[in-house]
Amino acid sequence: MEEVLQVANEFGVWILAGLVVSIALVQAILYYKLSFKAGEELGIPKEDCKAAFKTGVITSIGPSFAVFVIMVGLMSVIGGPMAWMRLAVIGSAPAELTAAQIGANAYNADFGGAGYDLTAMSVGWWTMAINGAGWLLFVGFFAHKLEKLRDKVAGGDKKWLAVLSGGAMLGVFGYLNAGSVLALGGEVVAVVVGAVAMIVLLKISEHYSVLKEYSLGLAMLVGMFAAVLLG
Amino acid sequence: MKDNLEEIWYKPVKKIGMATLITAVIGSFGPLLYLYFTRGVYPPLDAALSAWALVAASFGAAYFVEPISYYAILGLAGTYVSFLSGNISNLRLPASAMAQEVLEVEEGSKKAEIIGTLGIIGSVITNLIGVTLAAFIGMRLIEVFPPIVVDAFRDYTAPAIFGAVFGQFTMKYPKLAPFGIGIPLILLGVFDAPLWLVILGAVFGTILVARVFYQKGLIE
Repeated sequence: MEEVLQVANEFGVWILAGLVVSIALVQAILYYKLSFKAGEELGIPKEDCKAAFKTGVITSIGPSFAVFVIMVGLMSVIGGPMAWMRLAVIGSAPAELTAAQIGANAYNADFGGAGYDLTAMSVGWWTMAINGAGWLLFVGFFAHKLEKLRDKVAGGDKKWLAVLSGGAMLGVFGYLNAGSVLALGGEVVAVVVGAVAMIVLLKISEHYSVLKEYSLGLAMLVGMFAAVLLG
Repeated sequence: MKDNLEEIWYKPVKKIGMATLITAVIGSFGPLLYLYFTRGVYPPLDAALSAWALVAASFGAAYFVEPISYYAILGLAGTYVSFLSGNISNLRLPASAMAQEVLEVEEGSKKAEIIGTLGIIGSVITNLIGVTLAAFIGMRLIEVFPPIVVDAFRDYTAPAIFGAVFGQFTMKYPKLAPFGIGIPLILLGVFDAPLWLVILGAVFGTILVARVFYQKGLIE
């Protein structure tokens, strides 16, 4: 394992991982510029565009710290560069771990244990790459078709489009919460307290609007620490 | 004006999206080439194929189900950014929803799409800083934080933020919220349905209920 990880942390792997990470950065910069241009066309003030960007930055500090914690764990099993690349692009830690594990098992090796040599690691890398490619290729080739599908479903009714987005959001997050609710313990505390805290914070921010952009981050912290205390 | 938006937004968005995602697919195989050229090591064909079949069996449905289910929320540019950068449920969707909330744009409108996209881009920047710090000084930095903080973030960030976003939309559509949580709970808890079916049922089931309520004038 030691020797395998040494290869996984070689300078050349860092460079190649860095190239992929930089694609995400380049894409973000290009879309940032494009958004301002389109915003101008739609009559959105520049300050509003900046405020939207800033809200995204602030809202994601908490969850990014969680990704940070998970990534440090992941680095010790798949090496620094691969963890960096997989969590900056496409990845989520559970999917990557599963893929690396499936890869090693397909080669009859225990992930990180008996028989885990360079070849076993290469099967793991292959599996992570081919798995990520599934999402990237589908979205790369077909995302613009989904735009047409949405237009069809909405049928030009703007009010219905708003309700549709709200329904989709409740469905997605209902699905994401269902697992935690059924898991009981700390997780269900986090869900319920997080939800209640968010509602309270948004009510308060109707009077103190500066609070609004921090509300999600704060609600998350309240939910988490309630879970630690009561879970 | 709409045609103008097609030219200055949708067309370049599609071009950049396709180019970056496909480059990322190619790039993600780079480390494998490195192993081959420096060590002569590569995945044996039979193991590569059976591993591919196994991950496709576990995640294959998600390749299609996730982009389709999230599209109404993310929009075109948001979809390209989110699926390139990953961490969609815990970072991209909350960032998009909060940007729209703070700027008070009408959901589903073109303005909302631009504002949501900018929120998502903001979250990409934070996330890139986070993972890059983790890559280079993570091991040392993590020892600075007390274990209880580290554990709390590892175990409870996801459910707390999922709950919070659900709370945010419960305020907007209180009549839809019971269906949003109820449908997946029944599918998962009573029928033990596979996850791809649970997500499709939750999203499109709730949209269907929304449609009925909307037509009956129960929500606006």
